[in-house]
Amino acid sequence: MEDRPLADDDLVARARQGDTRAYALLVEEHQTLAMRTAYLLTGSAADAEDAVQEAFVKAYRALGRFRPGSPFRPWLLAIVANEARNRRRSAGRRERLALRAAEDPLSGGAVPSPEAALLAAERRDELLAAVNELREEDRLAIACRYFLGLSEEETVSALGWRRGTVKSRTSRALDRLRERLEVNV
Amino acid sequence: MTELERALVLLGEELAFPAAPDVSERVLARLAEPPPRRRRRALVAALAVLAVAVGAALAVPQARTAILELFRLRGATVERVDTLPPVPMRTAAALDLGREASSEELEAALVPAILGEPDAAYVSNELYGTRLTLVYGPGARVPESPYTGVGILVGEFAGEGAVRFVEKMVDAGSRVEVLQVGPYPALWIEGGPHAVLFDGETRVFEDHGRLAGNTLLVERNDVLVRIEGELTRERAIEIAESLE
Repeated sequence: MEDRPLADDDLVARARQGDTRAYALLVEEHQTLAMRTAYLLTGSAADAEDAVQEAFVKAYRALGRFRPGSPFRPWLLAIVANEARNRRRSAGRRERLALRAAEDPLSGGAVPSPEAALLAAERRDELLAAVNELREEDRLAIACRYFLGLSEEETVSALGWRRGTVKSRTSRALDRLRERLEVNV
Repeated sequence: MTELERALVLLGEELAFPAAPDVSERVLARLAEPPPRRRRRALVAALAVLAVAVGAALAVPQARTAILELFRLRGATVERVDTLPPVPMRTAAALDLGREASSEELEAALVPAILGEPDAAYVSNELYGTRLTLVYGPGARVPESPYTGVGILVGEFAGEGAVRFVEKMVDAGSRVEVLQVGPYPALWIEGGPHAVLFDGETRVFEDHGRLAGNTLLVERNDVLVRIEGELTRERAIEIAESLE
C-alpha cells in the first residue's frame, strides 16, 4: 500500500529545490486520495476540494520542514485532514455523511449471473448499512483503513489519533460489524 | 485479512466518492503568487489587540504595549504579555502527543541519562517538522504536574529552516531567565502557569494550546529541547545536561 516511495522521494527532493513541475506530479499522484480523505472528514465535495487545494499549497510551502526520507503520504494527509477539519468546523456542520454505493459500480470484467449479482448487491447494501450505523469514530477508522486503503500510520496522520486508538477503534468496529452481520470468520 | 475485511475493501471500491478534479494547475497558479503573511502573525496580533483591550479596561496606560518582554531562542519565543490567552489545561490523556515512537526513533532521540528510559515516547509529524516527546510518570522524586498530569515531559523539536517551533506566553506571575546549559543557550520559565502555543498554520495553534508548568528550553544545535514538570531550576538544568 506504500506506493512508490522512491518516486515520491525523488519528486519531493526536486520540489524542495523549487521545481514546481515536480510538485505538480506529486499533486496529481495524491489528489484522489487527498480528496477522498477530505470528503470523509468534511462531508461536502465542495469543502473537500477547497481543503485539498489549500492543503497542497500549504504543504509546498512547508516542504522545507519535511524530513527527507520519511514517507510523503502520511505527512500530506495530516495537512489535508487539518484543512478539512477546519472547514467542517467553520461550516458548523454536524450531520453525518451517509456513505453510499455508486450507481454504477465497477464490474470486475466477468459478468455475474443476475441472481449472483442481486445477492452480492444485497450483501453489499447490508454491509454498507452496518458501517453507516457505527459510531462516527469507528466508522472513520473503517473508512480510512479499508475504503481508502490507508496504512495504520497514514490513518494516525489523517485522524490525528494515537496508533493504539486507531488499532482499538478499528478492532471494535470490526467486532460490531461481525455481530451485526453474523459473519463468522 | 479476514473475509469481513476483504468485503470492506470491495465495498470501498464501490462507494460513491465525489470525482477528484485535477487541482494541480490551480495549485501551481497559487504557488506563483507571493505567499500570504503567515496567519500565525495575525493571531498574535489578534491576541495582542485582546491584551491591549484588557489592559485598557484595567486602566493601564495606553502607551503600554501588549508584549512587554520578548525572549528568543532559535525555534522558540517567549513573550511576556498582560494577560494569558484562554487555553485549556490538558491531562496526559489529552496532551495530543502523537503516535507512539518506534524503537528506532527512540534510539535516535536525546534521552536524559539521569532519568533513564522514558515510560512512554510519542512522535508527531507537524507542519514545522517532527516533535518527539518523552514522558516520565510521576514518581518519588517527581511530583505529578497539575498542568500535564504526568511527571516530566521532555519534548524534542527537530526540523529545518528558521522556524519558531514553540511560542510561549507568560504573564507577570512568571519569571523568565536567560541562561546557558553547557554550551547551549537556554531559557528557564518558572512561577505561574504559562501558555504554550505551538507554531503552525491556522488551527494547529488552537488545537495544541495548553497551560504548562515550570519549563526549561534548550537550543541544542538544530533540536529544541523542552523539559517541563514540577521541577526546580537546578534539577531541570541537571536533566538537560545529562541529555545524550
